[in-house]
Amino acid sequence: MSSKAKMDPRIEELLPFYTLDALSDEERGLVDSYLAEHPEVRGQIGDLQSAADALPFGVTPVEPQRRLKDALMARVAVDQRTSEQKQAPPPHERRWANLFPAFSFAIATVAVVWAVILNIQLSQLRNEVSALGDALVAQSNSLEQINAKLPQTPVSAVVTISLKGTEARPEAQGELIADPKSESAVMVITGLGQLEAGKTYQVWLIDAGGPKSAGLLTVDANGQGLLIVSSGSEIGSFNALGISIEPDGGSPQPTGDIVVLSDL
Amino acid sequence: MTQNKDATDALMRINSERKLLRSSKNKSAEPLNDETLAARVARGDGAALEALYDRYASTVLGVALKVIGDQGVAEDVLQETFWRVWRSASTFQPQRGSFTSWLFRIVRNLAIDAYRRSNVRPQAKTGTDDSESVLDQTPDPDADVAEQAQAILKNRQVRKALASLPQVQKQVIELAYFYGMTRQEIAEATGEALGTIHTRARLGLLKLREELERDEFEG
Repeated sequence: MSSKAKMDPRIEELLPFYTLDALSDEERGLVDSYLAEHPEVRGQIGDLQSAADALPFGVTPVEPQRRLKDALMARVAVDQRTSEQKQAPPPHERRWANLFPAFSFAIATVAVVWAVILNIQLSQLRNEVSALGDALVAQSNSLEQINAKLPQTPVSAVVTISLKGTEARPEAQGELIADPKSESAVMVITGLGQLEAGKTYQVWLIDAGGPKSAGLLTVDANGQGLLIVSSGSEIGSFNALGISIEPDGGSPQPTGDIVVLSDL
Repeated sequence: MTQNKDATDALMRINSERKLLRSSKNKSAEPLNDETLAARVARGDGAALEALYDRYASTVLGVALKVIGDQGVAEDVLQETFWRVWRSASTFQPQRGSFTSWLFRIVRNLAIDAYRRSNVRPQAKTGTDDSESVLDQTPDPDADVAEQAQAILKNRQVRKALASLPQVQKQVIELAYFYGMTRQEIAEATGEALGTIHTRARLGLLKLREELERDEFEG
């Protein structure tokens, strides 16, 4: 009783509604803070809380139809199964993954690059079906190069970085698929126009020391291009990637319009 | 097809677990308490969830129906309530309150949210007479007879205790608990001073507790 006498009257009047769970968030926070500072008051809540907790039992019970329980348990069963599968992949899958990491990566890379290319084509070249077919054949050949150049990279290290056009070429977009620890990567780009004779796109990897040429890029009639970027050092050590328009054969440093520039 | 097969397999496993649970229950003649079952649910035991469902589904549906007043929406709330028990049992902390307190908070909040979203209930009732509620006492063939009897006894005890309260106290408690109304909203709705609402809530709860104790109610 003595602890009751000490209780802040503002808190005391909130307690019945606290136990009925009918306070605003702010009011509830006040009571929680008070209880944390005055644990001796918790005992006074007991009677109110037990009465509030009994209220649902005073409602007329309504027996649910059997189908509701069956539906719930079926949902639970599927969830159980899914959880088990997530937690424990079959042993033969683990063994396979351990024995053939390079092969896994090759398959994953092919799948990722195919997905990227198909997405770009579907969104931008919906009406040019024949051109799409040609592009896919060309890119399929390039994918074989990818497998040859990146056979040892572990799957888990691969990241995909979005590339965006500058104001000079806002419709340009693409992706760089790379292992930051590797010295090479795959770049897929679209939205680049065909250049006049004597000009070429040149890809640059940029670090604190400035831009370093990563290769010349050729685009097809649909403005698409795919390049195996070779950096000479870890891709992850660069801060940005850019593409500029240069004279045929490329330049030691960017001299023309920068059409793509994205942080890595 | 694979998913259906998986579900069938898992259901068969649950049935098997259920039999074990019942068998152990019969041997000990002492049903597992709510907190033990909740801990099992947290470990992914579907049979434990089913035991809790058998124990409380009719009360949960009764509460949802009382708040919402629409059978279909109330059934959705029932399903969602036990789905949340399944997915969130690991967040239940017995030291902070009973399992039923946690369970009924879930159903109450879901029901009040559903009501506010759909506005299916015409108006919050101001009485506490449940005689107009849908009453379907059809027994579930799988339900434990002792648990059913216990639920009916509890229902009678609480209704009797509520009947002993002055109507104005009962009204404040019901508006706050079942309809999620704040004390200010109750004061406004009833035209009473805020202080009066405080007093009615406190006295009503204390009187309810006293009556339940006298009747040896076990929550």
